Amino acid sequence: MNQAAEGGVRNAPQRGVKSAPQRSVAALVAGGVGEFMLTAGAIVLLFVVYTLWGTGIQTANAQDDLRDQLGLDTGQLEKDPIPLDQLELGDAYGIIRIPRFGDDWEWIIVQGTEDGDLKNGPGHYLDSVDPGQLGNFAIAAHRSGHGEPMAEFPELRVGDVVEIETATGTFVYQLDDAPNGDPDGNRIDITETWVVDPVPGEPEDTKPTERRITLTTCWPRWGSSHRMYATGVLIGGEEV
Amino acid sequence: MYAWIWRHLPGPWPVRLLIYLILIAALVYALFIWVFPWAEDAFNISEVTVG
Repeated sequence: MNQAAEGGVRNAPQRGVKSAPQRSVAALVAGGVGEFMLTAGAIVLLFVVYTLWGTGIQTANAQDDLRDQLGLDTGQLEKDPIPLDQLELGDAYGIIRIPRFGDDWEWIIVQGTEDGDLKNGPGHYLDSVDPGQLGNFAIAAHRSGHGEPMAEFPELRVGDVVEIETATGTFVYQLDDAPNGDPDGNRIDITETWVVDPVPGEPEDTKPTERRITLTTCWPRWGSSHRMYATGVLIGGEEV
Repeated sequence: MYAWIWRHLPGPWPVRLLIYLILIAALVYALFIWVFPWAEDAFNISEVTVG
């Protein structure tokens, strides 16, 4: 018994000295690999949390700033805003409302469709005309992450109304081509830029006779191998 | 790795636990602020424009 006690004391680490428990090299390596894989798994899960939810925090803050830019604190557009053609990339452009997505669905459009613009809200294609003008007013927006403004995009139907409000007035468009509830409806390739041409489907230099709107988003919802679009024509509105 | 960090943290175990949690929180914060936005751009996982 004495011997056992002495042995125990001899093998015990000295007080205050922190040393790793003795393990074989193989066990150390296996443990290290295991920890690495657990860590990698946790980081991937966190990334999913980031894309689905984390990106929305930044977008919500950006939308608040953009609302201030438009002077919407009072519920009224600022009466003396920057003209649309003098806006810089990322500036607040106007408001988009789509009743199909809900009565309180309202987003501030930003000028430009670079990644940095679109993470703040739906973006206006720079090459497309301003709302109400002859040609095609085109907008891109996220369907997942970044506040997912277009989450319900496939639910858009022919006849749905899209309302745009800018410094120059309020413009009401009615869709004449939409996914109509089909999750794969109006799916196009990434390179199919004809949808945002002045006259969709016609050569780029065709003279427009209609005042159109086109919306694009990603397909599938949680990926971006393709795009989806919906398009419509101006049916009303009033200039300021 | 995790055990190694734990052994090298100072103080009694409640203090160590606190430091450990703060370290993890700082790491997650860094991931969300710098690493994930970079990864999202680099891997083109959320593109919505044609062209």
